[in-house]
Amino acid sequence: MGWGDRLAKVYIALIILFIYIPTFFMIALSFKSGAKVSFPIEGFTWDWYVKPPTGYEYSAYISIMHDKNFFTALNNSLFVSIVTALLTCLLVTTTALALRKKIVGRDLLFYLFLLGFIVPGVALGLGVTFMFRLFGIESSLLAVAAIVTVYTVPFGLILMMSRFDPELATYEYAASVLKASPLSVFRRITFPLIIFEVISAAIMGFLLSWGEIIRTQFVMKGMGTLATYIRNELSINPITPKWFAAGTIIAIIAFVGLAIFAYIMSRRVR
Amino acid sequence: MSTLQLKMGLTDRVAKYSRYLLLLPGFVLLLLFLLIPLSMIVGISFFERFTVTGPENLTLKNYVAFFTSPQTPVILLNTFGMSLLACLIAFLLGYPMAYFLVFRVKSARVRFFVVSLLLVPFLIDWSVRVVAWLPILGESGIINYALMSWGVIKEPLELLFGRSALLIIWPQTYLLWMIFPSYLALTRIDPDIINAAKVLKAPPHRVFFDITFKLSLPGVVMGFIFVFVSALGDYVTPALWAGGIQTLGLSVANYAANFVWPYAAALSTILVAIALLILYVLLKVVDIKKLVY
Repeated sequence: MGWGDRLAKVYIALIILFIYIPTFFMIALSFKSGAKVSFPIEGFTWDWYVKPPTGYEYSAYISIMHDKNFFTALNNSLFVSIVTALLTCLLVTTTALALRKKIVGRDLLFYLFLLGFIVPGVALGLGVTFMFRLFGIESSLLAVAAIVTVYTVPFGLILMMSRFDPELATYEYAASVLKASPLSVFRRITFPLIIFEVISAAIMGFLLSWGEIIRTQFVMKGMGTLATYIRNELSINPITPKWFAAGTIIAIIAFVGLAIFAYIMSRRVR
Repeated sequence: MSTLQLKMGLTDRVAKYSRYLLLLPGFVLLLLFLLIPLSMIVGISFFERFTVTGPENLTLKNYVAFFTSPQTPVILLNTFGMSLLACLIAFLLGYPMAYFLVFRVKSARVRFFVVSLLLVPFLIDWSVRVVAWLPILGESGIINYALMSWGVIKEPLELLFGRSALLIIWPQTYLLWMIFPSYLALTRIDPDIINAAKVLKAPPHRVFFDITFKLSLPGVVMGFIFVFVSALGDYVTPALWAGGIQTLGLSVANYAANFVWPYAAALSTILVAIALLILYVLLKVVDIKKLVY
């Protein structure tokens, strides 16, 4: 192994560490017995996770498993993220297929889709608020999912469009020369070859909408998703280890979900 | 005319129009949730009031107020300066990561594992992820705690408030936005080109700067755009951590929260316009379409 490979390994490890530093601290401090999120750690406790509420404490001191709002927000988040994931992989696939061939205004359309990510979130959030206000539309979780989809599509689109290489076109051409109908070319050749990108687009959609806060916060009044609920709680109440316990629970669910997914996908990776 | 001919003609026509049909769902979404909202912002920014019945009194007052305000240069400098710096840090951290992943990690399985590992923290709630910096960089966080107990400093350092906070939180939050397009661009480079240069005895730094880096520029530029606009549109981080530093995004949110709709709309329009201008300049320099076509 050359020094270059060794350097690469160390660097990759360092970046992963950098991304994970807050996560380590979050997990450690979620078991802290004091109410301040700082050092030193006085003692170990499960209270922030499971302690039954007395009914008299502020929301920042109710343990996470007994916080009803947390579970409502979690439900909302799951709904928005799953709808966004499905919409994203559907729209990415149709749009990428349409933009493959030289069609009228292809560049313009590509930039237009890219614009969905480029327009600063705060501006788009305001614009949607105006639209709802002017036409008297009630905001809903479905609307949030649609707005977030505008922002998640570009990622998947870039990924999938870069997959349509000449090699893939050759296979499709071979199939169509052998008199396969366009539909069966798609079903039997194209789709199996882009399935990785279709799933990636769905995951991107899920991830981006899970963390999305700016557009959601603007459009959704009230509790909204997990991201907006926790952000609002943190901005008005004292910051306690309770939220670290919440983060730890989400991290465990995410880790298990991604591990299962990565295992399934790694058997497909060429 | 035989049935076969008729069928062929039909499939041809279907194939021709199906491309436009395929565009329809995506376009409807863009129209409803991007183009109409954007035109609303631009439209309403030229009115004096936006009441329940609709906008009232056409005026240029909002723009005049913005450009004559003494705070404006500071806000613009904060907004774009901090966003660009965050981009630069994300690039310095993220590009080597993408490069090493593509050229140094041989096993596709390891590469996939590393990418999956990068995704996990992004599923943790965004606010919690940001607040988790508190025990590290906060006033009584581990760095200050260690430095003070060793006697290096007497007063805790203000690491987590003000500009430095943005330069830590933004690159960390948006690092993936830089790694992902760079990685994609690097994988699209034909290894034969690099091998050819090596065979012709090009020194490693020339191979890197003249070939690898140049060919990956579309991805780098796309990463820059992604990180830049993410930071530009983020008012939540400055609101929580920047300790009173005003950015354009934060101003939009503040005016909107106080229902000063037209002024918020004018600020948004300026924000979008500048973002598009920077995008235009970048696209003039590098053709990012190379990444996808």
